[in-house]
Amino acid sequence: MSIRNIFLITAAIGFLFLTNGCKSESKSEIKVVNFEQLEPVFTKNDDVLYVVNFWATWCGPCVKELPHFMEVYEEFKSNKKFKMILVSLDDSDNLETAVKSFIVRMNLKGELYLLDDIKKMNEWIPAVNKDWSGSIPATLVIKNGQTLSFDSRDLSKDELIERIAKHL
Amino acid sequence: MKTISKIAGLLMITLFSFGTLSAQGGYKIGDEATDFKLKNVDNKMVSMADFKDAKGFIVIFTCNHCPYSKAYEDRKIALSKKYAPLGYPVIAINPNDPAAEPMDSFELMQVRAKEKNFPYPYLFDDGQKIYPQYGATRTPHVFVLKKENNKHIVKYIGAIDDNYKNANDVSNKYVEAAVDALLVGKEVEVKTTVAVGCSIKVKK
Repeated sequence: MSIRNIFLITAAIGFLFLTNGCKSESKSEIKVVNFEQLEPVFTKNDDVLYVVNFWATWCGPCVKELPHFMEVYEEFKSNKKFKMILVSLDDSDNLETAVKSFIVRMNLKGELYLLDDIKKMNEWIPAVNKDWSGSIPATLVIKNGQTLSFDSRDLSKDELIERIAKHL
Repeated sequence: MKTISKIAGLLMITLFSFGTLSAQGGYKIGDEATDFKLKNVDNKMVSMADFKDAKGFIVIFTCNHCPYSKAYEDRKIALSKKYAPLGYPVIAINPNDPAAEPMDSFELMQVRAKEKNFPYPYLFDDGQKIYPQYGATRTPHVFVLKKENNKHIVKYIGAIDDNYKNANDVSNKYVEAAVDALLVGKEVEVKTTVAVGCSIKVKK
């Protein structure tokens, strides 16, 4: 075997590892964003029904309702006009230590963000919904920039389905 | 017949009051806040009326378990030390039902108050009667009240400041600004703010 072949094989194996690594990571990939990066979800005119949930690892009722959200996600994920967005309000310092392991443990899917914009809460909380005081959990159903429902409390699976089904 | 109409009347009143309660969603700026009589961590009952010389109050709905409440613990103590001598004592109230959040039991409130040596009363909203009247929705949630003609008028509702995470990187000290304005007879500039916080825990 020539040195060139060994090099090629090593490179190929390395490439496989890399792509596999990316794939398994994309399953529970969470992006740290500020509100400007998240805002298009609230204004997009793309006929997609967005379920947006604000949560945190330390929030008891959030942790309790997230499995319901995942069941609902499984039910609707094949619909191209449906997207679920989970926005963690955890401290970004806890991203590696708490949030990522929580995502794996709870098997959270959908689009995952950590909103790291704490000093502008007074701007983005009312921008998300004028009736929101910032208490979590909070869940919105949005389509074409219109808020179809806003709940500043935890939701049961049935309640969540009810809010989605009539608009999908 | 009379009884039936009486019952119907009562029912109407009940329905009506529930309706207005949920529609109003608690106090707005300028409303008169109710006094309360709640048990402090030292087992004594505390009311605002007990503070004869107070010019107003910094009422903070807060608790043991919530990370935001914890993050603000030292700042709550600092607020109390700064403003109680100026006539605006801090009164902390735990609005959570311990059946829903065991970390917020009265016993654990006593433990925390002792550990941190709270200079302010830390009261238990036993039966959760007070927080809905104020319209508190999260912890921490602050209501700055000013005594006017022996009424407690709501002057500020919201967050303590604009950075829960880092006290050294705060740009707006909302509560301090509000009380400072009231102390010199000025109007509060920023009257309401919002902030992320833990929902108030109610047993289902």
